[in-house]
Amino acid sequence: MTQPLKPFDYFEPTTIKEAVQILGRYGTKAKLLAGGVDLVARMRRHQVQPQYVVSILSIPGLDYIHSDEVGLSFGALATIRSIELSPIVKNDYTVLYEAASQIASVQVKTMGTAVGNLCVATPASDIATALYALGAKLRITGPAGERTIPVEDLFVGVNQTVLEPGEIVTEVILPSPAPQTGGAFFKLVRTASDIAKVNVAVSLTVTDNACREARIVLGSVAPTVIRATRAEEALRSSTLEPKVIEEVAQLAAGEAKPITDLRSTIEYRREMVRVLVRRAVKKALTRAKA
Amino acid sequence: MAEQIVKFIVNGRSYEIPIEPQMTLVEVLRDKLDITGTKISCGAGECGACTVLIEGKPVLSCLTLAITAREKNILTIEGLAKGNDLHPIQKAFIDNGAIQCGFCAPGMILTAKALLDENPDPTRGEVKKALAGNLCRCTGYVKIVDAVLVAAEEMRKGGS
Repeated sequence: MTQPLKPFDYFEPTTIKEAVQILGRYGTKAKLLAGGVDLVARMRRHQVQPQYVVSILSIPGLDYIHSDEVGLSFGALATIRSIELSPIVKNDYTVLYEAASQIASVQVKTMGTAVGNLCVATPASDIATALYALGAKLRITGPAGERTIPVEDLFVGVNQTVLEPGEIVTEVILPSPAPQTGGAFFKLVRTASDIAKVNVAVSLTVTDNACREARIVLGSVAPTVIRATRAEEALRSSTLEPKVIEEVAQLAAGEAKPITDLRSTIEYRREMVRVLVRRAVKKALTRAKA
Repeated sequence: MAEQIVKFIVNGRSYEIPIEPQMTLVEVLRDKLDITGTKISCGAGECGACTVLIEGKPVLSCLTLAITAREKNILTIEGLAKGNDLHPIQKAFIDNGAIQCGFCAPGMILTAKALLDENPDPTRGEVKKALAGNLCRCTGYVKIVDAVLVAAEEMRKGGS
Protein backbone atom coordinates (compact mmCIF):
# COMPACT_ATOMS: atom_id res chain seq x y z
CA MET A 1 0.00 0.00 0.00
CA THR A 2 1.16 3.48 -0.67
CA GLN A 3 0.37 6.48 1.44
CA PRO A 4 0.42 10.26 1.29
CA LEU A 5 3.90 11.71 1.49
CA LYS A 6 5.27 12.90 4.81
CA PRO A 7 6.00 16.65 4.88
CA PHE A 8 9.44 17.90 3.83
CA ASP A 9 11.13 21.18 3.00
CA TYR A 10 11.40 21.71 -0.74
CA PHE A 11 14.25 23.42 -2.58
CA GLU A 12 14.45 24.23 -6.25
CA PRO A 13 17.92 25.54 -7.01
CA THR A 14 18.62 26.95 -10.46
CA THR A 15 22.34 26.17 -10.64
CA ILE A 16 24.34 22.98 -10.01
CA LYS A 17 26.51 24.90 -7.55
CA GLU A 18 23.49 25.87 -5.48
CA ALA A 19 22.13 22.30 -5.58
CA VAL A 20 25.48 20.92 -4.40
CA GLN A 21 25.55 23.43 -1.52
CA ILE A 22 22.05 22.52 -0.32
CA LEU A 23 22.62 18.77 -0.69
CA GLY A 24 26.01 19.08 1.04
CA ARG A 25 24.51 21.08 3.90
CA TYR A 26 21.81 18.54 4.73
CA GLY A 27 23.72 15.33 3.87
CA THR A 28 21.68 12.15 4.32
CA LYS A 29 18.59 14.10 5.44
CA ALA A 30 18.23 15.42 1.88
CA LYS A 31 17.26 13.64 -1.33
CA LEU A 32 17.79 14.79 -4.88
CA LEU A 33 14.66 14.84 -7.07
CA ALA A 34 14.87 14.49 -10.86
CA GLY A 35 12.21 12.38 -12.60
CA GLY A 36 10.85 11.14 -9.29
CA VAL A 37 9.77 7.66 -10.43
CA ASP A 38 11.99 5.96 -7.89
CA LEU A 39 12.19 8.59 -5.14
CA VAL A 40 8.50 9.53 -4.95
CA ALA A 41 7.44 5.86 -5.17
CA ARG A 42 9.72 4.99 -2.25
CA MET A 43 8.51 8.02 -0.31
CA ARG A 44 4.92 6.85 -0.86
CA ARG A 45 5.85 3.47 0.60
CA HIS A 46 7.54 5.34 3.49
CA GLN A 47 10.76 3.47 2.71
CA VAL A 48 12.53 6.81 2.61
CA GLN A 49 11.42 9.97 4.39
CA PRO A 50 13.73 12.85 3.52
CA GLN A 51 13.44 16.05 5.56
CA TYR A 52 14.61 17.98 2.52
CA VAL A 53 13.85 17.39 -1.15
CA VAL A 54 16.12 19.16 -3.61
CA SER A 55 14.70 19.29 -7.14
CA ILE A 56 17.18 19.78 -9.96
CA LEU A 57 14.35 20.14 -12.51
CA SER A 58 14.72 23.93 -12.67
CA ILE A 59 18.43 23.88 -13.45
CA PRO A 60 18.58 24.87 -17.13
CA GLY A 61 20.57 22.99 -19.75
CA LEU A 62 20.72 19.53 -18.18
CA ASP A 63 18.39 17.67 -20.55
CA TYR A 64 20.64 17.66 -23.62
CA ILE A 65 21.78 14.73 -25.74
CA HIS A 66 24.85 15.81 -27.69
CA SER A 67 26.96 13.93 -30.20
CA ASP A 68 30.06 14.74 -32.21
CA GLU A 69 33.07 12.84 -33.59
CA VAL A 70 34.43 12.26 -30.07
CA GLY A 71 31.29 10.56 -28.84
CA LEU A 72 27.92 11.02 -27.18
CA SER A 73 27.10 12.84 -23.99
CA PHE A 74 23.87 13.51 -22.19
CA GLY A 75 22.93 15.54 -19.13
CA ALA A 76 21.46 14.58 -15.77
CA LEU A 77 17.93 15.46 -16.92
CA ALA A 78 17.95 13.58 -20.25
CA THR A 79 14.98 11.23 -19.96
CA ILE A 80 15.08 7.57 -20.91
CA ARG A 81 12.37 8.35 -23.47
CA SER A 82 14.40 11.10 -25.15
CA ILE A 83 17.38 8.71 -25.35
CA GLU A 84 15.16 6.04 -26.89
CA LEU A 85 13.86 8.50 -29.49
CA SER A 86 17.28 9.91 -30.42
CA PRO A 87 18.22 8.77 -33.97
CA ILE A 88 21.93 8.99 -33.12
CA VAL A 89 21.53 6.70 -30.14
CA LYS A 90 19.55 4.23 -32.26
CA ASN A 91 22.13 4.17 -35.07
CA ASP A 92 25.47 4.50 -33.31
CA TYR A 93 24.84 3.39 -29.71
CA THR A 94 22.47 0.51 -30.45
CA VAL A 95 23.05 -1.23 -27.12
CA LEU A 96 21.73 1.80 -25.25
CA TYR A 97 18.77 2.11 -27.64
CA GLU A 98 17.87 -1.55 -27.17
CA ALA A 99 18.03 -1.19 -23.39
CA ALA A 100 15.89 1.98 -23.34
CA SER A 101 13.40 0.61 -25.83
CA GLN A 102 12.75 -2.57 -23.83
CA ILE A 103 11.80 -0.66 -20.67
CA ALA A 104 8.06 -1.02 -20.95
CA SER A 105 6.14 1.97 -19.63
CA VAL A 106 6.20 5.12 -21.74
CA GLN A 107 5.14 7.14 -18.69
CA VAL A 108 8.05 5.91 -16.59
CA LYS A 109 10.49 6.60 -19.44
CA THR A 110 9.02 10.07 -20.04
CA MET A 111 9.53 11.00 -16.40
CA GLY A 112 12.61 8.97 -15.52
CA THR A 113 16.12 10.13 -16.33
CA ALA A 114 18.93 7.78 -17.33
CA VAL A 115 21.19 9.29 -14.66
CA GLY A 116 18.47 8.84 -12.03
CA ASN A 117 18.15 5.22 -13.05
CA LEU A 118 21.92 4.79 -12.57
CA CYS A 119 21.96 6.51 -9.19
CA VAL A 120 19.24 4.21 -7.81
CA ALA A 121 21.96 1.54 -8.17
CA THR A 122 19.75 -1.44 -8.82
CA PRO A 123 21.71 -4.44 -10.15
CA ALA A 124 18.82 -4.97 -12.61
CA SER A 125 19.34 -1.59 -14.33
CA ASP A 126 19.09 -2.02 -18.11
CA ILE A 127 20.63 1.43 -18.55
CA ALA A 128 23.66 0.62 -16.37
CA THR A 129 24.20 -2.70 -18.14
CA ALA A 130 24.18 -0.96 -21.53
CA LEU A 131 26.44 1.87 -20.34
CA TYR A 132 29.06 -0.60 -19.01
CA ALA A 133 29.18 -2.20 -22.45
CA LEU A 134 29.64 1.18 -24.12
CA GLY A 135 32.47 2.24 -21.78
CA ALA A 136 30.61 5.21 -20.30
CA LYS A 137 32.16 7.74 -17.96
CA LEU A 138 30.30 9.87 -15.44
CA ARG A 139 31.00 13.49 -14.63
CA ILE A 140 30.32 14.20 -10.97
CA THR A 141 30.15 17.59 -9.25
CA GLY A 142 30.32 17.90 -5.49
CA PRO A 143 31.44 20.10 -2.60
CA ALA A 144 35.07 19.12 -3.27
CA GLY A 145 34.88 19.96 -6.98
CA GLU A 146 34.51 17.88 -10.11
CA ARG A 147 35.63 14.34 -10.91
CA THR A 148 35.08 11.85 -13.71
CA ILE A 149 34.79 8.11 -13.10
CA PRO A 150 34.04 5.04 -15.23
CA VAL A 151 30.42 3.96 -14.76
CA GLU A 152 31.75 0.66 -13.35
CA ASP A 153 33.18 2.54 -10.36
CA LEU A 154 29.81 4.03 -9.39
CA PHE A 155 28.31 1.01 -7.68
CA VAL A 156 29.24 -0.39 -4.30
CA GLY A 157 26.31 -2.73 -3.72
CA VAL A 158 22.54 -2.96 -4.00
CA ASN A 159 21.25 0.66 -3.86
CA GLN A 160 24.73 1.87 -2.87
CA THR A 161 27.01 4.17 -4.83
CA VAL A 162 30.33 5.92 -4.24
CA LEU A 163 28.58 9.31 -4.35
CA GLU A 164 29.40 11.45 -1.32
CA PRO A 165 26.76 13.70 0.28
CA GLY A 166 26.32 16.70 -1.99
CA GLU A 167 27.64 14.98 -5.09
CA ILE A 168 25.57 15.03 -8.28
CA VAL A 169 26.15 13.05 -11.47
CA THR A 170 25.83 15.82 -14.05
CA GLU A 171 26.76 14.09 -17.29
CA VAL A 172 27.27 10.71 -18.95
CA ILE A 173 29.99 10.54 -21.60
CA LEU A 174 30.31 7.74 -24.16
CA PRO A 175 33.27 7.36 -26.51
CA SER A 176 32.49 7.15 -30.21
CA PRO A 177 32.43 3.45 -31.19
CA ALA A 178 35.59 2.22 -32.94
CA PRO A 179 35.17 1.06 -36.56
CA GLN A 180 33.82 -2.49 -36.88
CA THR A 181 32.28 -2.42 -33.43
CA GLY A 182 28.95 -4.13 -32.83
CA GLY A 183 26.81 -4.53 -29.75
CA ALA A 184 23.66 -6.17 -28.52
CA PHE A 185 21.40 -6.06 -25.46
CA PHE A 186 19.14 -8.88 -24.35
CA LYS A 187 16.94 -9.28 -21.32
CA LEU A 188 14.72 -11.90 -19.86
CA VAL A 189 11.62 -10.70 -18.00
CA ARG A 190 8.53 -12.24 -16.43
CA THR A 191 6.22 -9.60 -17.92
CA ALA A 192 7.13 -6.71 -20.17
CA SER A 193 6.85 -4.11 -17.41
CA ASP A 194 8.74 -6.04 -14.73
CA ILE A 195 12.45 -5.63 -14.04
CA ALA A 196 14.87 -8.13 -15.56
CA LYS A 197 15.56 -11.65 -14.28
CA VAL A 198 18.77 -11.46 -16.30
CA ASN A 199 20.05 -8.77 -18.67
CA VAL A 200 23.13 -8.93 -20.84
CA ALA A 201 24.93 -6.32 -22.92
CA VAL A 202 27.85 -7.05 -25.23
CA SER A 203 30.13 -4.84 -27.30
CA LEU A 204 32.79 -6.26 -29.64
CA THR A 205 35.35 -4.81 -32.00
CA VAL A 206 36.46 -7.15 -34.78
CA THR A 207 39.41 -6.75 -37.15
CA ASP A 208 40.63 -9.35 -39.64
CA ASN A 209 38.17 -11.85 -38.27
CA ALA A 210 39.64 -11.64 -34.77
CA CYS A 211 38.13 -10.00 -31.74
CA ARG A 212 40.21 -7.02 -30.71
CA GLU A 213 38.08 -5.60 -27.90
CA ALA A 214 35.25 -7.20 -25.93
CA ARG A 215 32.93 -6.13 -23.16
CA ILE A 216 30.49 -8.63 -21.74
CA VAL A 217 28.20 -7.20 -19.08
CA LEU A 218 25.75 -9.03 -16.82
CA GLY A 219 22.85 -7.46 -14.92
CA SER A 220 20.54 -8.84 -12.19
CA VAL A 221 22.98 -11.65 -11.33
CA ALA A 222 25.22 -10.03 -8.68
CA PRO A 223 24.91 -7.22 -6.09
CA THR A 224 25.89 -4.78 -8.84
CA VAL A 225 26.00 -4.94 -12.62
CA ILE A 226 29.27 -6.77 -13.43
CA ARG A 227 31.63 -7.40 -16.32
CA ALA A 228 32.40 -11.05 -17.10
CA THR A 229 36.14 -10.41 -17.35
CA ARG A 230 37.25 -14.01 -17.84
CA ALA A 231 34.74 -14.43 -20.65
CA GLU A 232 35.96 -11.16 -22.19
CA GLU A 233 39.56 -12.38 -21.96
CA ALA A 234 38.67 -15.65 -23.72
CA LEU A 235 36.95 -13.76 -26.50
CA ARG A 236 39.70 -11.18 -26.97
CA SER A 237 42.26 -12.30 -29.57
CA SER A 238 40.09 -15.29 -30.43
CA THR A 239 38.94 -16.03 -33.95
CA LEU A 240 35.32 -16.18 -32.86
CA GLU A 241 34.34 -19.60 -34.13
CA PRO A 242 31.16 -21.15 -32.68
CA LYS A 243 33.10 -23.36 -30.23
CA VAL A 244 34.79 -20.29 -28.73
CA ILE A 245 31.47 -18.50 -28.34
CA GLU A 246 30.08 -21.52 -26.45
CA GLU A 247 33.09 -21.49 -24.12
CA VAL A 248 32.77 -17.75 -23.58
CA ALA A 249 29.08 -18.12 -22.68
CA GLN A 250 29.94 -20.91 -20.23
CA LEU A 251 32.66 -18.79 -18.61
CA ALA A 252 30.25 -15.86 -18.22
CA ALA A 253 27.70 -18.15 -16.55
CA GLY A 254 30.44 -19.17 -14.10
CA GLU A 255 31.21 -15.52 -13.31
CA ALA A 256 27.60 -14.68 -12.42
CA LYS A 257 26.76 -14.66 -8.71
CA PRO A 258 22.97 -14.78 -8.80
CA ILE A 259 20.50 -15.27 -5.97
CA THR A 260 17.16 -16.99 -5.78
CA ASP A 261 14.26 -14.57 -5.30
CA LEU A 262 10.64 -14.25 -6.33
CA ARG A 263 11.58 -13.71 -9.96
CA SER A 264 13.96 -16.60 -10.51
CA THR A 265 16.36 -19.18 -9.07
CA ILE A 266 20.15 -19.26 -8.93
CA GLU A 267 20.27 -22.20 -11.34
CA TYR A 268 17.90 -20.71 -13.91
CA ARG A 269 19.59 -17.32 -13.86
CA ARG A 270 23.02 -18.89 -14.36
CA GLU A 271 21.78 -20.98 -17.27
CA MET A 272 20.09 -17.94 -18.84
CA VAL A 273 23.34 -15.97 -18.56
CA ARG A 274 24.91 -18.65 -20.73
CA VAL A 275 22.08 -18.52 -23.29
CA LEU A 276 21.83 -14.72 -23.45
CA VAL A 277 25.61 -14.19 -23.64
CA ARG A 278 25.80 -16.65 -26.53
CA ARG A 279 22.97 -14.86 -28.37
CA ALA A 280 24.34 -11.40 -27.64
CA VAL A 281 27.88 -12.27 -28.77
CA LYS A 282 26.55 -13.74 -32.02
CA LYS A 283 24.40 -10.71 -32.70
CA ALA A 284 27.17 -8.26 -31.80
CA LEU A 285 29.51 -10.13 -34.12
CA THR A 286 27.07 -9.93 -37.03
CA ARG A 287 26.66 -6.21 -36.43
CA ALA A 288 30.41 -5.61 -36.12
CA LYS A 289 30.98 -7.21 -39.51
CA ALA A 290 28.07 -5.42 -41.19
CA MET B 1 6.91 23.67 5.23
CA ALA B 2 4.38 26.42 4.84
CA GLU B 3 1.78 26.38 2.12
CA GLN B 4 2.53 28.41 -0.93
CA ILE B 5 0.32 29.78 -3.65
CA VAL B 6 0.93 27.93 -6.89
CA LYS B 7 -0.55 28.41 -10.35
CA PHE B 8 -1.76 25.35 -12.23
CA ILE B 9 -3.02 25.32 -15.82
CA VAL B 10 -5.43 22.41 -16.19
CA ASN B 11 -7.32 21.86 -19.44
CA GLY B 12 -6.57 25.43 -20.47
CA ARG B 13 -7.90 27.00 -17.29
CA SER B 14 -5.70 28.64 -14.64
CA TYR B 15 -6.05 27.98 -10.93
CA GLU B 16 -4.08 29.66 -8.15
CA ILE B 17 -4.25 27.63 -4.99
CA PRO B 18 -2.26 27.09 -1.79
CA ILE B 19 -0.46 23.75 -1.66
CA GLU B 20 2.18 22.03 0.44
CA PRO B 21 5.26 20.63 -1.32
CA GLN B 22 4.49 17.03 -0.38
CA MET B 23 1.24 17.03 -2.37
CA THR B 24 1.27 14.93 -5.51
CA LEU B 25 -0.31 16.19 -8.69
CA VAL B 26 -3.17 13.71 -8.54
CA GLU B 27 -4.03 14.89 -5.02
CA VAL B 28 -4.16 18.48 -6.20
CA LEU B 29 -6.33 17.57 -9.19
CA ARG B 30 -8.78 15.41 -7.26
CA ASP B 31 -8.85 16.90 -3.76
CA LYS B 32 -8.08 20.59 -4.35
CA LEU B 33 -9.52 21.23 -7.81
CA ASP B 34 -12.27 18.60 -7.76
CA ILE B 35 -11.21 17.30 -11.17
CA THR B 36 -11.72 13.62 -10.42
CA GLY B 37 -11.44 11.94 -13.83
CA THR B 38 -7.81 11.07 -13.04
CA LYS B 39 -7.69 7.89 -10.96
CA ILE B 40 -5.39 6.68 -8.19
CA SER B 41 -4.66 2.99 -8.06
CA CYS B 42 -1.23 1.52 -7.35
CA GLY B 43 0.65 4.65 -6.29
CA ALA B 44 3.85 2.98 -7.44
CA GLY B 45 4.19 3.60 -11.16
CA GLU B 46 2.87 0.21 -12.24
CA CYS B 47 -0.71 0.75 -13.42
CA GLY B 48 -0.96 4.00 -15.40
CA ALA B 49 -4.43 4.87 -14.01
CA CYS B 50 -3.17 8.30 -12.90
CA THR B 51 -1.74 9.24 -16.32
CA VAL B 52 -2.16 12.87 -17.37
CA LEU B 53 -0.42 14.77 -20.15
CA ILE B 54 2.01 17.52 -19.20
CA GLU B 55 2.98 19.60 -22.23
CA GLY B 56 1.57 16.74 -24.32
CA LYS B 57 3.64 14.00 -22.72
CA PRO B 58 2.20 11.17 -20.61
CA VAL B 59 3.30 11.23 -16.97
CA LEU B 60 2.16 9.55 -13.76
CA SER B 61 0.40 12.16 -11.64
CA CYS B 62 0.69 10.05 -8.47
CA LEU B 63 4.50 10.12 -8.69
CA THR B 64 4.71 13.78 -9.70
CA LEU B 65 5.13 16.39 -6.98
CA ALA B 66 2.45 18.93 -7.84
CA ILE B 67 4.81 21.82 -7.31
CA THR B 68 7.00 20.61 -10.20
CA ALA B 69 4.00 20.84 -12.58
CA ARG B 70 3.22 24.46 -11.78
CA GLU B 71 2.62 26.77 -14.73
CA LYS B 72 2.77 23.86 -17.17
CA ASN B 73 -0.08 22.78 -19.45
CA ILE B 74 -1.79 19.82 -17.82
CA LEU B 75 -4.39 17.84 -19.76
CA THR B 76 -6.75 15.49 -17.93
CA ILE B 77 -9.54 13.36 -19.37
CA GLU B 78 -12.01 16.21 -18.68
CA GLY B 79 -10.16 18.42 -21.16
CA LEU B 80 -10.44 16.09 -24.13
CA ALA B 81 -14.02 16.52 -25.32
CA LYS B 82 -15.08 19.81 -26.90
CA GLY B 83 -18.38 20.57 -25.19
CA ASN B 84 -20.60 17.62 -26.03
CA ASP B 85 -18.36 16.44 -28.86
CA LEU B 86 -16.24 13.54 -27.73
CA HIS B 87 -12.66 13.27 -28.89
CA PRO B 88 -12.28 10.57 -31.61
CA ILE B 89 -10.37 8.35 -29.16
CA GLN B 90 -13.19 8.59 -26.60
CA LYS B 91 -15.74 7.85 -29.30
CA ALA B 92 -13.75 4.88 -30.61
CA PHE B 93 -13.45 3.45 -27.06
CA ILE B 94 -17.25 3.54 -26.69
CA ASP B 95 -18.03 2.27 -30.20
CA ASN B 96 -15.56 -0.62 -29.99
CA GLY B 97 -16.43 -1.95 -26.56
CA ALA B 98 -13.17 -0.75 -25.04
CA ILE B 99 -14.92 0.65 -21.95
CA GLN B 100 -15.88 -1.87 -19.31
CA CYS B 101 -15.63 -0.70 -15.70
CA GLY B 102 -14.00 2.49 -16.96
CA PHE B 103 -11.39 2.84 -14.23
CA CYS B 104 -8.39 2.51 -16.54
CA ALA B 105 -10.02 4.46 -19.38
CA PRO B 106 -8.84 8.00 -18.54
CA GLY B 107 -5.22 6.86 -18.38
CA MET B 108 -5.56 4.60 -21.42
CA ILE B 109 -7.17 7.32 -23.53
CA LEU B 110 -4.61 9.99 -22.59
CA THR B 111 -1.70 7.61 -23.22
CA ALA B 112 -3.27 6.77 -26.59
CA LYS B 113 -3.60 10.48 -27.37
CA ALA B 114 0.09 11.04 -26.68
CA LEU B 115 0.91 8.14 -28.99
CA LEU B 116 -1.30 9.32 -31.85
CA ASP B 117 -0.05 12.90 -31.59
CA GLU B 118 3.48 11.55 -32.01
CA ASN B 119 2.71 8.72 -34.45
CA PRO B 120 -0.59 9.17 -36.36
CA ASP B 121 -0.34 5.79 -38.10
CA PRO B 122 0.89 3.22 -35.57
CA THR B 123 1.01 -0.53 -36.11
CA ARG B 124 -0.88 -2.83 -33.75
CA GLY B 125 2.46 -3.66 -32.11
CA GLU B 126 3.28 0.01 -31.60
CA VAL B 127 -0.11 0.59 -29.93
CA LYS B 128 0.46 -2.34 -27.59
CA LYS B 129 3.92 -1.09 -26.71
CA ALA B 130 2.69 2.45 -26.10
CA LEU B 131 -0.05 1.19 -23.75
CA ALA B 132 2.19 -1.28 -21.88
CA GLY B 133 2.27 1.02 -18.86
CA ASN B 134 -1.54 1.03 -18.50
CA LEU B 135 -3.21 -1.94 -16.84
CA CYS B 136 -6.86 -2.95 -17.40
CA ARG B 137 -8.22 -5.33 -14.78
CA CYS B 138 -11.24 -6.19 -16.94
CA THR B 139 -8.54 -7.41 -19.39
CA GLY B 140 -10.17 -5.63 -22.29
CA TYR B 141 -6.88 -5.15 -24.08
CA VAL B 142 -7.93 -6.51 -27.49
CA LYS B 143 -10.84 -4.07 -27.70
CA ILE B 144 -8.70 -1.22 -26.38
CA VAL B 145 -6.05 -1.76 -29.06
CA ASP B 146 -8.81 -2.07 -31.69
CA ALA B 147 -10.27 1.24 -30.50
CA VAL B 148 -6.95 3.08 -30.69
CA LEU B 149 -6.40 1.85 -34.26
CA VAL B 150 -9.92 2.95 -35.26
CA ALA B 151 -9.34 6.34 -33.63
CA ALA B 152 -6.04 6.70 -35.47
CA GLU B 153 -7.81 6.16 -38.78
CA GLU B 154 -10.53 8.67 -37.89
CA MET B 155 -7.99 11.26 -36.82
CA ARG B 156 -5.98 10.81 -40.02
CA LYS B 157 -9.18 11.56 -41.94
CA GLY B 158 -9.35 14.81 -39.99
CA GLY B 159 -11.80 13.83 -37.27
CA SER B 160 -10.01 15.95 -34.71
